[in-house]
Amino acid sequence: MKRSRTAALLLMSATPLLLTACQGDEDLTREGLFTSVDSCAAQTGDRATCQQAFDKSQAEAAKDAPQFASREECAKNYDWDRCAEQKDSGGHSFFGPMMAGFFISQMMRNGSPMAGFNSGPAWRNSAGAWQRPDPGTGGASGVYSGSRAGAKMVPVTATPDRAMTVTRGGFGSSFGSRSAGG
Amino acid sequence: MRRLAIPARPDWRDKANASGFDFHTIDGVPYWDESAYYAFTLRQIEDDLEAPTGELHAMAMDLVDEVVNSEQHLRTLAIPEAFWDWIAQSWRERQPHLYGRMDLAYDGFGPAKLYELNYDTPTSLFEAAFFQWQWLEDRLHTGHLPANADQYNSIYESLVEAFGTVATQIRRPFVLAALRESDEDQGTVAYLRDCAMQAGVECSLLDIEDIGVTADGRYTDMQDRVIGALFKLYPLEDLFVEDFGKYLPRSGIQLIEPAWKAILSNKGILPLLWQKHPEHPNLLPAFFDDGSRLPAGWVRKPVFSREGANIAMHLPDGEQVSTPGPYTAGPYIRQAWHPLPAFGDHHPLIGSWVVGDRACGIGIREDQSLVTQDSARFVPHAIVEDTRGVLMA
Repeated sequence: MKRSRTAALLLMSATPLLLTACQGDEDLTREGLFTSVDSCAAQTGDRATCQQAFDKSQAEAAKDAPQFASREECAKNYDWDRCAEQKDSGGHSFFGPMMAGFFISQMMRNGSPMAGFNSGPAWRNSAGAWQRPDPGTGGASGVYSGSRAGAKMVPVTATPDRAMTVTRGGFGSSFGSRSAGG
Repeated sequence: MRRLAIPARPDWRDKANASGFDFHTIDGVPYWDESAYYAFTLRQIEDDLEAPTGELHAMAMDLVDEVVNSEQHLRTLAIPEAFWDWIAQSWRERQPHLYGRMDLAYDGFGPAKLYELNYDTPTSLFEAAFFQWQWLEDRLHTGHLPANADQYNSIYESLVEAFGTVATQIRRPFVLAALRESDEDQGTVAYLRDCAMQAGVECSLLDIEDIGVTADGRYTDMQDRVIGALFKLYPLEDLFVEDFGKYLPRSGIQLIEPAWKAILSNKGILPLLWQKHPEHPNLLPAFFDDGSRLPAGWVRKPVFSREGANIAMHLPDGEQVSTPGPYTAGPYIRQAWHPLPAFGDHHPLIGSWVVGDRACGIGIREDQSLVTQDSARFVPHAIVEDTRGVLMA
């Protein structure tokens, strides 16, 4: 016999399983969190971007850091040796934790990446949890909101030092709507 | 070899839809056509198609070794220099390959002639492996074919076996990707995925356009997983020149078909084969095109082209025929004119499948013109012993 004894279909038959997860309409954010320019560069191979993100985060750290009246107050939430006197952009002194890392994030809209990145400082509380300023209260949005004594922090969901997708759509441009196979 | 009329199964469209074959009609034009079939004798199949396919495959594989180690050859084939080392390495590692289809001109008599190899992104796989097989079983069952009719088609079994064989060599996660908007390409990867899953190889589907890149130049799927192995129904030569192509050699990704297929998916392989095996009965004379006027009796093809696009023919009687298309970049080859046979108004081209290095079946596409293009129809075939007078009309 020159033909297959059978020719079964597993997934393509009349009642196909759901093969692809539905992309919801909700906006997603992809994030990478890095503890140093070196670890970022090692992960991403793009030292220039890492350095840029680090510098920008460093510059924003004092503005966005949780602010406390004293080092003792700061140390209730953060490691003592990471709490330091800092100056905000208005020149006012406060005590707050030093930046422990920085994140790079990319907004997704309907499953497609939007242009550009956000980056910003991240802190680690004494429990080891990563956090960053709530974008809703300034922080990554870059709006200076004056005193941040009660700055609301939100957890960072990214795993530290994980690489992330920076762009999509770099394959598939040669064919328009035609088939690529032949 | 004869072309015989046969009633179409009344419910074939339902069967097509039930099996995920949703490109049986493309842009309103029928693609699957079971109002006729081609009948072969077993001798024609085994001696004239199966054996030469195996031999041509071995000759082609043999050439890969020569070409990957020759800068001159790589340059002649217009493969970008940035990828030479990576291609050579993929060959040194003998990275696994799955399948290929060679297109043969055959009329039931003289030796089949190799038109070209489709060794990177062959389609018409599902039609040949599954739907054609189902057609034969159904028509046997209803008595429209002689009870001992058979088909040269163990493509499905060969695919499952091939996936099983290379399972341990496929990096995970394993993703199969095709263009979002092409039903035909999507159908092909869906079928390959089906076969892979049946072989116990877990894998997922992705649109080519959705492949992502990390900042360090690795490829990701929609879940941000770094892709281990990627079956891409997309020409290597296009991946090379598109935005994400530059990351390929250092990305760590395993491609299927592998990078070394760039040599076999390139029509430059045809003059190289002719050079190495001059006067081989299954080869047509072929040379690299020097840009001079095409003499009568020759065909010019771009080294990169699909679906019969951008072919120029200068027929022996002086007539000139050419097909339009997008493949204007890169070198050309010329091949001796050898017309497709005519069965009435129909010109069948035989796609002979090689899966896991084994010749395992055919699918026939026929066109009203002498160049088989994407307008061709797929017509099933059967092996029917030629006992005059017993045949069904």
